[in-house]
Amino acid sequence: MERSHGFWAEAWRRYRCRPLAVGGLAFVGFLVVVAAFAPAIAGTKPVLCRYKGRLYAPCLGYFDRRLEPAIFTKDKFRGTYPRNLAAKDPESWALWPLFFQDPYRSVRNDEWPGRPENPAMDQGRPSWNNLFGTDQAGVDVLAKMVHGTTVALLVGFVSMGIAGTIGIVVGAVGGYFGGWIDTLTSRVTEIVMCVPTLVLILSIVAIIEKPTIWHTMAIIGFTGWTGIARLTRGEFLRLKSSEYVTAARAAGAGPLRIMLRHVLPNALAPILVPITFGIASAILTESGLSFLGFGPPPPSASWGSVLNGARSNLGMWWLVVFPGAAIFLTVLAYNLIGEGLQESTDPRLREARK
Amino acid sequence: MATYLLRRLLLGCVTLVAITVVVYGLARNMPGNPLTAQFGEDPSRRITAEDYARMQRAYGLDQSWPEGYLQWSRNLLRGDLGRSITRKQPVTTLIGERIGPTLLISGTAFLLIWLAAVPLGLYASARSGRPDERIVSLVLYALYSFPTFVAALFLQVVFAVWSRGTAWELPLFGMTDLPPDAPLGGRILDVARHMVLPVICQTYVSLAYDIRFIRANMEEAVRQDYIRTARAKGAGPWRVLFHHAFRNTLIPLVTLLGLSLPSLIGGSIIIEQIFTWPGMGRLFFESIRERDYPTIMGLTLMFSVLTLLGQLLADLLYCLVDPRVSVD
Repeated sequence: MERSHGFWAEAWRRYRCRPLAVGGLAFVGFLVVVAAFAPAIAGTKPVLCRYKGRLYAPCLGYFDRRLEPAIFTKDKFRGTYPRNLAAKDPESWALWPLFFQDPYRSVRNDEWPGRPENPAMDQGRPSWNNLFGTDQAGVDVLAKMVHGTTVALLVGFVSMGIAGTIGIVVGAVGGYFGGWIDTLTSRVTEIVMCVPTLVLILSIVAIIEKPTIWHTMAIIGFTGWTGIARLTRGEFLRLKSSEYVTAARAAGAGPLRIMLRHVLPNALAPILVPITFGIASAILTESGLSFLGFGPPPPSASWGSVLNGARSNLGMWWLVVFPGAAIFLTVLAYNLIGEGLQESTDPRLREARK
Repeated sequence: MATYLLRRLLLGCVTLVAITVVVYGLARNMPGNPLTAQFGEDPSRRITAEDYARMQRAYGLDQSWPEGYLQWSRNLLRGDLGRSITRKQPVTTLIGERIGPTLLISGTAFLLIWLAAVPLGLYASARSGRPDERIVSLVLYALYSFPTFVAALFLQVVFAVWSRGTAWELPLFGMTDLPPDAPLGGRILDVARHMVLPVICQTYVSLAYDIRFIRANMEEAVRQDYIRTARAKGAGPWRVLFHHAFRNTLIPLVTLLGLSLPSLIGGSIIIEQIFTWPGMGRLFFESIRERDYPTIMGLTLMFSVLTLLGQLLADLLYCLVDPRVSVD
């Protein structure tokens, strides 16, 4: 049987007609690639090397220390590969990352044969060795940013995953059942909404003894679900009295089945829009927290923490411009995606475009 | 109407109690207390153990947090917000000192935003779809996505570091460099120069948002039948736009105004922190860092009351300007 185009295929067809929205999607795709290949783009560990007759990929150590082959620890490489490889096995060869720079430490003098050490303090303006300059400790900004891409992407997805789940559950339960349940969930939503977000986040961050980036993501998620809950509630209120829900109930479907199988798919498009905008604001919140010095402690590399370094020395403009541009472009990309999603799924706007 | 108001106010009180319990619980469970924040990790090095215990008792820090909350709410019912522990002043005095500078920034920004947003929003909807409008809209969209703290740092780099020694140089931090006994005219000018960068930072995001908001509402309005009628009877394009369409978009605008009430008085933590502006946002940030529970609670209470009032105000204004909507 030939099926007509589904709602999402139709929406995607309209989405593709919007160059800016497609551009936003492409930029996020680019960030995913950068995050996935971060150790191959910037690092001091070979992407692939042949050492004492075997092949290794020490660059995986950037994802997790345990993935770094044990033989290099045993042979006392101490993290410096170029000279050690040549000295301990003349037969060895290595495929190096695109930029020989480390996101967590400064590159020492002659660590890469013939290259001077990274400039430290306020001397590290952009140069051929350090395209985006170096920070006060002499750490390469480009390497920091490339490795910080993972954080920027994860913050958006993880925190909005949490916020979306809470928001949809709270809103769906309140909107579908109504009555005192609705009063209760609406009150809880209002309470969370009225507490200033930054205050809530700052005090929770202070309570956690050793905050990691995962804590920050969870906190942003647990405080950012109110808008989604309100919208979901509205959609469920509207849809629960529709005919197909009555039909499903007459056919004997339970409330959980009606909510998940019948109402939620129809409410999903308008809910996805604030979730996308929420990803943008989650990235803003995380970088803002790191900027204020409430982010995860070093060595985790976040774009906001590079900006924080500029506060004490404003003459180092490269600590403002490059991470600032990265945060801005990412937020813009998600906002453009959200806008495209809204315009391609909202039937009222669709009518207007005809 | 009266029952509606009463119900809203009662619900608001319940919400307020819940918010203050949550924030008090959070604040008291942060590691350390105002004394350790003041005297260092181990207060016994600076003051004797007896003094420490005596001060803890004096500030009510020896109570558990539910007891402390009850004490705080009892005082509140008597109209007493308590005294700041780290600043040795009544919380109301502190708020009174800080509210002026915040209003100076947010009030100026508020005026600029609405003076510019209405004409620009109307312009954008009048030229909808033309190349110039698309460029303006794209620029606004970019501004809307531009993080305030990046903008603030960037403005500081340009106007304070790169323009040092030129006529464009603007002060980096604070509210004024002059002593309080300097002539009034000079002081006003000095404060105005200090205000420029924070006001820009506070203005541009909301401005971009509001213009887009006005345009979206206008696009909704110009599709209505009464617009076609107005056009058919021969009203000019500007008259249709302003007299017929814009008047009907005032309703969502009024709601937006009501909801911006808390941020007007609450100030912006990040902007005031970057420019070390002595306002409410910075007071909030400092009081969290200093574990100054009475100040945290006073500010939270004020902020929540304003948020709830703003919501109520928005709903009431909504009924007032749109007779089709009823509070029940």
